[in-house]
Amino acid sequence: MPIHPAIEVCGVTKRFGAVTALDDVSFSVEPGELFFLLGPSGCGKTTLLRILAGLETPDAGTIRFKGQDVAELPPHERGAPMVFQNYALWPHLNVRDNVAFGLVERKVPKTEIGSRVADALDRVGLKGYGTRLPGQLSGGQQQRVVLARALVLNPPVVLLDEPLSNLDAKLRVEMRAEIEELHTQSRITFIYVTHDQADALSLATRMAVMNAGQVSAIGTPLDLYLRPPNAFCADFLGEANIVEGAARWVEGGRWKVDTAVGVWTVTTPVEPGPAARCLVRPENLQPMAGPADGFNAFEATITGIRMNGPTVTVALESGGLALRATLLTQQGAALHKGQRGLWGVATANTVVLPQ
Amino acid sequence: MRRLRLTTWFPILAVVAFLGVFLMWPLAHVFTRACWDKTGFTLGYLRNLFTNPVQIEAVGMSFLIAACVTVTCTAIAMPLAWLFARRTFPGKVLWSGLLLVPMILPPFVSAVGMKILFSRAGALSTLMMNLGLANGPVDWLGRFPLAGIVLLESLHLFPILYLNLVAALGNIDPSLEEAALNLGASPVRVFRRVTLPLALPGLFAGMVLIFVWSFTELGTPLVFGLRRVLPVMIYDSVSEIGTNPAGYAQVAFVLIISALGFWISKRLIARDRSVATLGRLSVGRKEVPLTRAGTWLATGFLLAVLGLAVLPHLSVILLSISRRWFLTVLPQGWTLEFFGRALNSDLTREAVVNSLGLSLGATVLDLVLGFGIAWLCVRKRVIGGDWLDALSMLPLAVPGLVIAFGYMGCFSGAFPNTLLDPRFNPMILLAVSYSIRRLPYMVRAAHAGLEQVSTTYEEAAANLGASPLRVVWRVTLPLISANLLAGAILCFSFSMLEVSDSLILAQSERFYPITKAIYALIDSLENGVNIASALGVWAMLLLGAGLLWATALLGKRIGQMFRAG
Repeated sequence: MPIHPAIEVCGVTKRFGAVTALDDVSFSVEPGELFFLLGPSGCGKTTLLRILAGLETPDAGTIRFKGQDVAELPPHERGAPMVFQNYALWPHLNVRDNVAFGLVERKVPKTEIGSRVADALDRVGLKGYGTRLPGQLSGGQQQRVVLARALVLNPPVVLLDEPLSNLDAKLRVEMRAEIEELHTQSRITFIYVTHDQADALSLATRMAVMNAGQVSAIGTPLDLYLRPPNAFCADFLGEANIVEGAARWVEGGRWKVDTAVGVWTVTTPVEPGPAARCLVRPENLQPMAGPADGFNAFEATITGIRMNGPTVTVALESGGLALRATLLTQQGAALHKGQRGLWGVATANTVVLPQ
Repeated sequence: MRRLRLTTWFPILAVVAFLGVFLMWPLAHVFTRACWDKTGFTLGYLRNLFTNPVQIEAVGMSFLIAACVTVTCTAIAMPLAWLFARRTFPGKVLWSGLLLVPMILPPFVSAVGMKILFSRAGALSTLMMNLGLANGPVDWLGRFPLAGIVLLESLHLFPILYLNLVAALGNIDPSLEEAALNLGASPVRVFRRVTLPLALPGLFAGMVLIFVWSFTELGTPLVFGLRRVLPVMIYDSVSEIGTNPAGYAQVAFVLIISALGFWISKRLIARDRSVATLGRLSVGRKEVPLTRAGTWLATGFLLAVLGLAVLPHLSVILLSISRRWFLTVLPQGWTLEFFGRALNSDLTREAVVNSLGLSLGATVLDLVLGFGIAWLCVRKRVIGGDWLDALSMLPLAVPGLVIAFGYMGCFSGAFPNTLLDPRFNPMILLAVSYSIRRLPYMVRAAHAGLEQVSTTYEEAAANLGASPLRVVWRVTLPLISANLLAGAILCFSFSMLEVSDSLILAQSERFYPITKAIYALIDSLENGVNIASALGVWAMLLLGAGLLWATALLGKRIGQMFRAG
């Protein structure tokens, strides 16, 4: 028997009237992955998740769970429980009945339901909360109940729709760790939709970056961060300085790009042409004592400094270009606005974006 | 891609079939009989309404009553609505509850009380003789029957207009009025130039509703002995329904007037919505407290209106506990025996049992139909859902008189001597007619509930493995149970006191519901009127308790149930 991917999405397209929410989206997810759909609001990621759950019907394309076409299955036969953004905990049922809901529908024997619900509540740290009503719980506790409600079914796939978006900053960090823990323990395939790159970069085994209804890039967080395949991806993940220029010639195995701040050397191959774009992450830009080998250096003026706590963000101007650099606070303490000096980035960290 | 599932098309089919058979068919039948005879299509019978002197008188009288009632209701409801929508004063909550009290009895029962007060041997006549203001007994009702009918119906119907107006005033964005103040208009000018024009559609819609209801009111003129009004003429023509098409023409005419009124009010409300929702801001409205003098004035006005409104009810209560009330100002001798007799005599006991059973049946039917229709429209968004919704609201425009007459006409002919023949056994048709009449309330209640409940709750249930029917059972129904219960209470209470259908459809004593029993008792000898009053008091208590319960469940939204659109 061949081993199928947990989920295959092939050429899925969805229109709402004149708006194309999803345009020929394809990807596949391996069993046990914590796969992210990341993108700005309105990029179609939630629509895609709802299509996986059967709550929307695609206009074209196929969905396969473990090799089986599920496009025609109604929501209640999909077996892919979802963690809703607004929780959707039924206000007329207490915590235990909320969690037991899916088990009751699956006609699991009563005694087994009792023990599985207790176990699931225990796993999310809500032992003893079974008789509370959802309205009596805090946001974080409600979030845990929703997770328990999905995980108690022991499903092959769990769908999460912006699960942390209603929580405050501190709670987000806590819950992020708990979701990771629950994923590791259960080995269930998670599909996680978010617009928050921090969630995706810190949790994902792989992710699909989405833009305007299309998949812009697929890969591991590390790959996509270090070698983004396009400008959207570079800009959406982390912060990016994009320096445009013309790729001119190749000299001794080195590729040269002619930019507004001088001729830069890059280590990635680049086709000679007028429109080459170099990505420099702000944390890779640093002040330099003098020109050095293996660095692309240029003169720049500091136009502003912002303290972030552990780091400072320095706004630079050079040759009409605005650039940002992020330094450790200690490093940036001596800098001041209006200061002119030499700044540089290692050639290895100057990434040329594919055309 | 969406497939039409069994769970969708079966309810659609059931609802359409039910409304088709029990609403559209009788209406079509009425029109056919009114406009067709052996010679083919004819407008002769309808034309007769405007050429035959007796018919002209009846049509004219009906219009006169309706117009007077509408004007009177507006005069009462306008200041009240402004007071309650824009001002605060001591006891406001209590007063706003009390304002619904006049609705708790059909005016035809309070007409009994009215008769005792103003008839030849009644309290007023005796009082004036005792005071030496009159030489002999005066039959005030006989002299001014129109005034009595108009007063009774107005005092009964004004809360409906009041509720519509309060809603219309409440819908006006406060910032629109603030903008007018800000640009230099005095409060009085603001009311005239901004508030009133914006509230006009709601006002007119409510007025149209009052007009239609009083135009088709059967019970009050019947008790007052006014025969030459359209509803009573229709009632009298039921006996010759098979032979004389004149009755059909009258019913068709009433239906045309009602449908026209309903259509106009719907258009007005639609315009009202488009104006009121324009640029709505989240500015809260601050209500201005009344001055001391204003409070006295308002309280006086409320006391006068409510006092007048409950006077007939009070006299019904007095009647029910008095041994003798004849040519005296107040009753002589008190007794509670009539309350017992109201529940013990064969006629009344059967009537109470009949009414309970009929109302229960109607309520269950309405629960199923009302939820089904609202669910199909709000959740399934089926094609033609708007039509289904409009169809379910149609009974608002179709007076009970018309439905009952239509049932007598078509079911007696089509299913003679079966359970669907009202002459043989009217129980099924009575229950169905009650439910059809109250269906709009149930649809609205369910509609409001479904719109408040986020669809995510249902999606989550489907997502966790519940089939569509199970989703409805385990999630949708429990979440909107308060709305459904409130709708059911209203259906039940109003069914208990439905007048026109009961008077027309229940032809033999065995099948009399409460209202028809009361009507039969009024004219019977031996304390019949006291027993009728006692029965009326029981009914008042029931409807009052029902309204209170529904209000407690729905809170402020109770007003929506009685809105025009």
